[in-house]
Amino acid sequence: MPLQEILLQQLANGLILGSFYALVALGYSMVYGVIKLLNFAHGDLYMVGAFAGFGCLSLFSGWLGAGWAGIVPSILLSMVAVGMLGVVIDRVAYRPLREAPKLSVLITALAVSMLLENTVLAFTGGQFTAFSTDLGFTGIDLGLVHVTYTQMVLVGTSIVLMVVLELFVSRTRYGRAMRAIAIDQDACRLMGIDVNRTIALTFFIGSALAAASGVLAGVYYGSINFFMGFLIGLKAFTAAVIGGIGNIPGAMLGGLLLGLLEAFGTQIPGIGGQWKDVFVFAFLILFLVFRPTGILGKPEVERM
Amino acid sequence: MSLGRTTRGIAAAVAALALGLASSAPARAADIKIGAMVPTSGSEAPYGIDMLNAIRMAADQINAKGGVLGDKISIIPGDDACDPQAAVNAASKLVSQGVTGVVGGYCSGATLPTLKIYGDAHVPFVITASNSTALIGANPGNAFMINSTGYDQVKTAVDLFKAKGVKTIAIINEGDAYSADLAKLTRAAWEKMGDKVVDYEVVSKGEQDFSAVVTKIRAAKPDAVFWTAYYADGALLLKQLRQGGYTGMIALGDGSNSPKLFQLAGPAANGVYCFSNPTANFLPSAKLFTEQYVKQFHQQPGPYSTLSYDGMMLMAHAIQVAGGPDKAKIVAALKATKDFKGVAGPISFTPQNTLARSNFVVLLGEGGKWTLYTGPGAPKAP
Repeated sequence: MPLQEILLQQLANGLILGSFYALVALGYSMVYGVIKLLNFAHGDLYMVGAFAGFGCLSLFSGWLGAGWAGIVPSILLSMVAVGMLGVVIDRVAYRPLREAPKLSVLITALAVSMLLENTVLAFTGGQFTAFSTDLGFTGIDLGLVHVTYTQMVLVGTSIVLMVVLELFVSRTRYGRAMRAIAIDQDACRLMGIDVNRTIALTFFIGSALAAASGVLAGVYYGSINFFMGFLIGLKAFTAAVIGGIGNIPGAMLGGLLLGLLEAFGTQIPGIGGQWKDVFVFAFLILFLVFRPTGILGKPEVERM
Repeated sequence: MSLGRTTRGIAAAVAALALGLASSAPARAADIKIGAMVPTSGSEAPYGIDMLNAIRMAADQINAKGGVLGDKISIIPGDDACDPQAAVNAASKLVSQGVTGVVGGYCSGATLPTLKIYGDAHVPFVITASNSTALIGANPGNAFMINSTGYDQVKTAVDLFKAKGVKTIAIINEGDAYSADLAKLTRAAWEKMGDKVVDYEVVSKGEQDFSAVVTKIRAAKPDAVFWTAYYADGALLLKQLRQGGYTGMIALGDGSNSPKLFQLAGPAANGVYCFSNPTANFLPSAKLFTEQYVKQFHQQPGPYSTLSYDGMMLMAHAIQVAGGPDKAKIVAALKATKDFKGVAGPISFTPQNTLARSNFVVLLGEGGKWTLYTGPGAPKAP
C-alpha cells in the first residue's frame, strides 16, 4: 500500500470511529451542560441501548428482515426505551440528590453504572452476543478508499443528530429552558419553568442518543456484551472534555478529533501499537493544561 | 450464694447441649474445604463457570465414593473476576476460611498476585488454566500448573508457522499478563530464528474498532497474524481483518479457543488456526467425562473443564497420599506426582512445578466449528 492510500484509509477509519465517540459524547456533554453532572452511567445506557436494539431486531427480523428495514425501527424503539430508562434513572437516583453536594451525585452515577452493567450481566450470563444483520460490505470507492454504505449511514446519522440537537437547544422553548437551568435553577423556578421536567427531558434526549449509537455499534461491529459501554464511556468523556464539555458542536468535534488521533496514532512509527493510548491521553492532559475549557468551551465565571 | 431454680435449669440445659455437641462432633466427618478460584463474574465469567462446574462435578464424584479418607470435600467458590484486585480479595478470603487447598486460576494476570497469598499461608494450589510464564518465577513452591505454559505454546506456534512457509508475522496482544507474555515470547523466538516481526501491536481490552490496526497490518503485509489474547475481541479483529482485505494466515492463542468465536466472527473464522490445550471434544478419553458433565449441567463442557476436573481429582489424590489435610505433606505429594491419569492426559511435574509434557494441539476453523488440525506442523500426539 502506498503511503497516500494508508493515510487516506486511516482518515476514514478515524472519522468512523470518531462518529461513535461523538454520538456518545453529545449526550454526556448535554447532561453535564444542564445539571453539571458527569453521568458515568452514560456509557452503560449505550450498552443497554445495544441490547434493546438487539431484542427489537430479533422480533422484527421475521417480517422486516435484518436489513435497514428492520434496523431503523429497532433503533427508534431502542431510543425511546432507553430514553425512558434515562428519565427513570434521573427520577430515582439523581433528582432526590438535586440539592446534595456534587460528589454524592457523582458517586450515585457510578453506582447506577454498576447496577446497569451487572443487571445485564445477570441476564446474559456474561456471554458475548452476536448481533447479526444482513448488511454487506458493499459500498463505493472514494479515490483510493473503499467506504461501505453502513459506514456512510453511521457518519451521516451522527451529523444529522448533532444538527438536530443543536437546533433544538438553540431554537426551541425547551432548549431555551435547558440553557436557562444551566445558568440558575432557582431563578428558572421563579420564572415558572418546570425545572424537573426539563431535566427529565435532557436525560431522555441524552439517553436516546446513547441508545442510537449503541445499536449502530452493534450493527457495525456485530458483537455486543455487558461491558461494551465502559471503554467508550471513558473515550466519550475524553472527547467531550477536548471539545469543551457542555458544548454540543464541541462534543462532535472532540469525538472526531479523538477518533483521528487514535487512527493516526496507530500508524506513527514508534508510537503506534504499544503507545497509542499514551499518545491519545497525553493529548487530553495537554488540553487540560493549556486549554481547560476545551476547543469550543467558554471559560466559566464563578458568580459569588 | 445460691442459684435460682430457673438459672440452674438453664445452666443444666446449656451443659447438656455442650455435651451433646461435643459427643456428636466426631460422629460427623469433618469437611475438607477446597477453594475454587475462578472468574464467575466479569468478561471471562463463561470460562470460570465452566471450570467451577467441572470442579464441583469432580468433588461430587469423590464424595459419592465416600470422600477422601472418609472426609467429604466441600467446594468454596472464590470469584477472581479475571481482575488482579478482585483475585487478591478472593484469595485472602479463601485462606481466612481455612481451605486445605485451592484449585482453579484462569486469567494469568489475576492468578499472579494470589501466588504470594497462598504461598504465605502454605496452601497447595493447583492451577488449572493460567499458563503465563510469569507465574513460573513467582511461584513460591506450593503452586502446580497442570496446563502447558506459554513456552510450549510458542513452540507449537513457531512450528506451525515454519511448516506453513511463513516468513513475516504480525503479533497483536492486549497488554495483560497472559497475552503480553505470549506475544513477547513469540517475538523473541521468531526473531531468534532470523525472521521478521513486521508489526507488534497492543490494543485495549474491550476495544471494538480495530480498523486502524487493520490498515497498518495491510500496509506491513505479514504472511501471518498472531492474536495472543481472548476470543471476544479476537472475533472482532479477525472479522475486521478479513473485511479490510487481509488474506494471509491468522492464528489465535489458546484464550481464543471458544465455539463462540464462530458466532461472533461468522465465516471469517473459517481457515483460522488456534492453539489449544486438549479440550473434551478432541479427547477420546474424555467421552465419559463429557456425558457426565452434560447430564449434570445441561451444557457442553468448556475449554478448561477437563483440566479443572483433573485439577480437583489431583488435589484429592494428593490429600489421600498425604494421609490427611496437612498442607506441607499435600505439597510434597503434589510435587511427587508421577503420571497421574487425568482426563486430559497424564500429569507429572518439572522441577519448576509445571506440566512435564506439552499438551498443546492445533485447531482449524472449518464449517463454523473447530476441528483438530493434523496437517504439516501439527504437534505429535503424546
